[in-house]
Amino acid sequence: MKSLMMTAAIAGLLLWSAAVPLRLAAQAPSAGTAAPKPAPRMADGHPDLSGVWWRGSDIGGRGFAPGGGAPGGGRPAQPPPFFSSFYQPSAIAHAKTLSDKDDPTVHCTPTAFGTLNVSLFDVGAVGQIVQTPKFVVMLTETYHGFQIIPFDGRPHRDNVPPSNRGDAVGRWDGDTFVVDKNNFTDTTWISAEGRVSYHSDALHIVERYRRLDANTLEIEATLEDPKVLTKPWVVPKQTLQLAPFDQIMELSCSSSDTQSQKDAAPPQNSEKN
Amino acid sequence: MKARLFAVFTSVLIALGTGVQAWAHHSFAAEYDLKHPITVHGVIAQVRLENPHSWFVVDVKDPATGKVDRWSFEAGTPSGMIRNGYRPGVIKAGDEVTIKGFQSKDSDVRGMLRELVTADGHVYGLFGPQENR
Repeated sequence: MKSLMMTAAIAGLLLWSAAVPLRLAAQAPSAGTAAPKPAPRMADGHPDLSGVWWRGSDIGGRGFAPGGGAPGGGRPAQPPPFFSSFYQPSAIAHAKTLSDKDDPTVHCTPTAFGTLNVSLFDVGAVGQIVQTPKFVVMLTETYHGFQIIPFDGRPHRDNVPPSNRGDAVGRWDGDTFVVDKNNFTDTTWISAEGRVSYHSDALHIVERYRRLDANTLEIEATLEDPKVLTKPWVVPKQTLQLAPFDQIMELSCSSSDTQSQKDAAPPQNSEKN
Repeated sequence: MKARLFAVFTSVLIALGTGVQAWAHHSFAAEYDLKHPITVHGVIAQVRLENPHSWFVVDVKDPATGKVDRWSFEAGTPSGMIRNGYRPGVIKAGDEVTIKGFQSKDSDVRGMLRELVTADGHVYGLFGPQENR
């Protein structure tokens, strides 16, 4: 049963991957469509990354394009490599002792990266960036999370404990905002979905954000973890769209909430007990 | 268990887009019997549009015996449902609905919502309205 479901899930992922170019192509502006406005800029001249970013709709919504990436990329011959594709032999052996039941997100713990390979989303599919002259703040709807990224040249903090989302500092490389994250706990996974993707406390993530125009944000990321990986995982490029609203919502998750919901849905009808 | 489903609900749809195959996620199967589809027809007793997941509670009357069972169907995240066009209050207590879903493994009156159809024919899925999809 379990293997059947796993197979179905993997098949679904393949279907999803295969459908991405078609979906994105369908969303591409047709000839004659006005070119998007250029990326807005802050007073300091840097691009302003502020906005709510998503794939074009929410999960389950019309036109939801989960895969991201560039249009017209063609159908992939096989699923792209994932973090665990580069596990060292010892990590592969450890991963075999884990299953979907060990996924930390089942206890509402965030991922270290994100299910859609977009840290701004974490487990969900929408996130908001707020940029100030000193910080880029990334707000994640799912789990109601945030990450504050200073870009004034300061180094990583050496006086904070390891965290689920890591310690982040930023810098500008031309018009590209480069985020460097370290000091992660070793108790989260890279992704949710029950997909085994544990990592060590040596996890190091570098992300590059570029606002191509007013409506488009391009993200690249590289994850390295010398304790468990044979080489860094270079994440496929992601392309997000500016959402037509300027506030995310709260999507909280806690054991008490979920228990309350369970209590409200009794396991048996009283007449049957 | 329900905490688990929060992540799973999200990831299922993320991984598989909006396809029916979404129901086949391996972790989802831990909670609901995907080989046991169910259909009930009844009257909404309560709609809980809340985090992390929404619930539709419906009273289902056995036409033969007159006995009423109160069922609970788990749906998607409120933010996702609302963003997809669901409006709080559009489905309310007293509304007649038909719900298709999958049976819980540990309850005979609980399920995962796959499709909710109102008396006037509006169709809702796990994450809200399904019209014009």
